[in-house]
Amino acid sequence: MNVTNSPGVCPVTGKSAELLTKISLVDPDISAHPNAYYDAMREADPVHYDEKLHMYLVSRFEDIQTIQRDPITYSVKHGYEAQYSAGFFEEFKDILERDGGGYFPDAIMSDPPYHTRIRGLMDKAFTAHRVRELEPLITDIVVDVIGGLPASGPVDIVKAFSVPITIRVICAQLGVAQYNADKIQRWSAAVTAQIGRMQDRDKMIENAREICELQHFLIEHVKDRQEHPREDMISDLVHARIDGADEPTLTFKEVVSLVRALMIAGNDTTATAMTNLFYLLGTRPELAGLLGRSAGDDRAMSRFVEELLRVEPPVRGLSRMTTKEVELGGKILPAGAHLLLMYASANDQPEVFPCPRDFDMERSNLGRHVSFGGGPHKCIGLSLARMEIRVAAREVAKRLANIKLEVSAEEIPYLKSVATHTIEHLPVSYTKL
Amino acid sequence: MSALTVTFVEEDGTVKTLGAETGQSLMQAGKDAGVAGILADCSGACACATCHVYVDDAWADIVGGPNPIEAEMLDMVADVLKENSRLSCQIRLTPELDGLKVTVAPLG
Ligand code: HEM
Ligand code: FES
Repeated sequence: MNVTNSPGVCPVTGKSAELLTKISLVDPDISAHPNAYYDAMREADPVHYDEKLHMYLVSRFEDIQTIQRDPITYSVKHGYEAQYSAGFFEEFKDILERDGGGYFPDAIMSDPPYHTRIRGLMDKAFTAHRVRELEPLITDIVVDVIGGLPASGPVDIVKAFSVPITIRVICAQLGVAQYNADKIQRWSAAVTAQIGRMQDRDKMIENAREICELQHFLIEHVKDRQEHPREDMISDLVHARIDGADEPTLTFKEVVSLVRALMIAGNDTTATAMTNLFYLLGTRPELAGLLGRSAGDDRAMSRFVEELLRVEPPVRGLSRMTTKEVELGGKILPAGAHLLLMYASANDQPEVFPCPRDFDMERSNLGRHVSFGGGPHKCIGLSLARMEIRVAAREVAKRLANIKLEVSAEEIPYLKSVATHTIEHLPVSYTKL
Repeated sequence: MSALTVTFVEEDGTVKTLGAETGQSLMQAGKDAGVAGILADCSGACACATCHVYVDDAWADIVGGPNPIEAEMLDMVADVLKENSRLSCQIRLTPELDGLKVTVAPLG
């Protein structure tokens, strides 16, 4: 979708209820370019039942807020379980139990009060102030990766820039020194595919094998930190303790599931945000000047990054399940209704963000976007993600110019997933400064 | 640890005066007591701005202004920002703050 930046005029997208009856979010064209579909949903049927997915797509900002504020009525645990490896779950679980060292349910994908305990034990590792101390390390990594880029491209920015940076940062944080970046990317894709709803059985088996390998890798690290604690996140989790609590520490199974979550949740998402930076610079050339002017100013960079995340949210749809009958957006949902929260649609709602497809980093309510979710499940890695993207954007502004996409926007391949909106490859050319 | 008293005025005008401990954050005291509007989505990581309060004039100097990271977060909610805005998770309670009074900011 093209965008004009003339003041007060927004491009109008096709809003038609007809769109909704004919198509589904799992149709590849819609999945790749969903904004008009979101508009149609918000307008015509804000809690829309998608026949192919068997899920209600919740598209309005206010309904998403309602859900986020009530984690008991709208259960992450049940929503996630219904989404997870949908259609193949028993077989998937058997493979992990047989070949993967065990099946470790995601401790963080749970409901209060259990979730409250898990979050409490994880939180210490994640304050914005602690993350601020990582700025020099992240800068070194970004500068090194840019240094290794060829003189002018074209390169696939996903493989040459976004993925290596995020993998190096999270591995440094977790305390994983020796790793194979290609494997980690494959593992991430395999885990993420379990909530994407677009894998077939062959792909599930292939993905389960990858996850087995990932688990053996992680189990070894967790066992090592039990004996030899260090200054890293795996040790933080292994030895996390809340004195006076009934269960003051995490179990082995919980730790493995959380390390897996941290390694994976932050990878694809943060890398996608970095790729989206190039996508935006390539499709809206006027942003290069704006980024250049912002690069030396912390406030401006914070705003730039936040607007980047609002306009192109890496995570577009995560699930919930109702635990009782409830009214949402004018519809009565039965207990057990499976919902997909369309974060990307809420970010596009013109009543909340006027001219939503414009990149306007001076929005006065920028912090209201839901790219990191909200409520008790709000992203735990958001400060780390913001810092990585900010450093990446700043160094790109300082070191690369004439950034151009070597494909048309229509040709860009997107991952098949309802959960994320992930560019798979993005050939880009540039000149180095 | 010594006990002190703090007061929150909720968005609808309800006044809640509650006991708190030194060393705690103001956000924690408010959240534990179920103060409306202190959601604290990020549990005090200075990363969400859902613990935003306006410090009562009489207390502004004693509490002081936001730290730099906090100021950047507050800038994200500029539509409801005031001169006396603070994120309550960044206010550590000390004996000098006994009697502190704040108003909960709207979520925008
Ligand atoms: C730009 C990058 C990122 C985006 C867009 C993003 C997005 C999100 C969203 C939307 C949620 C909410 C889930 C829900 O509503 O059910 C979430 C949760 C979560 N994120 Fe992120 N995330 C990012 C980076 C990271 C990083 C770097 C980490 C870890 C190092 C991370 C770890 C998590 C975890 C563990 C949760 C679950 C929290 C809970 O349910 O309590 N994320 N993320
Ligand atoms: S609790 Fe999130 S900023 Fe204070």
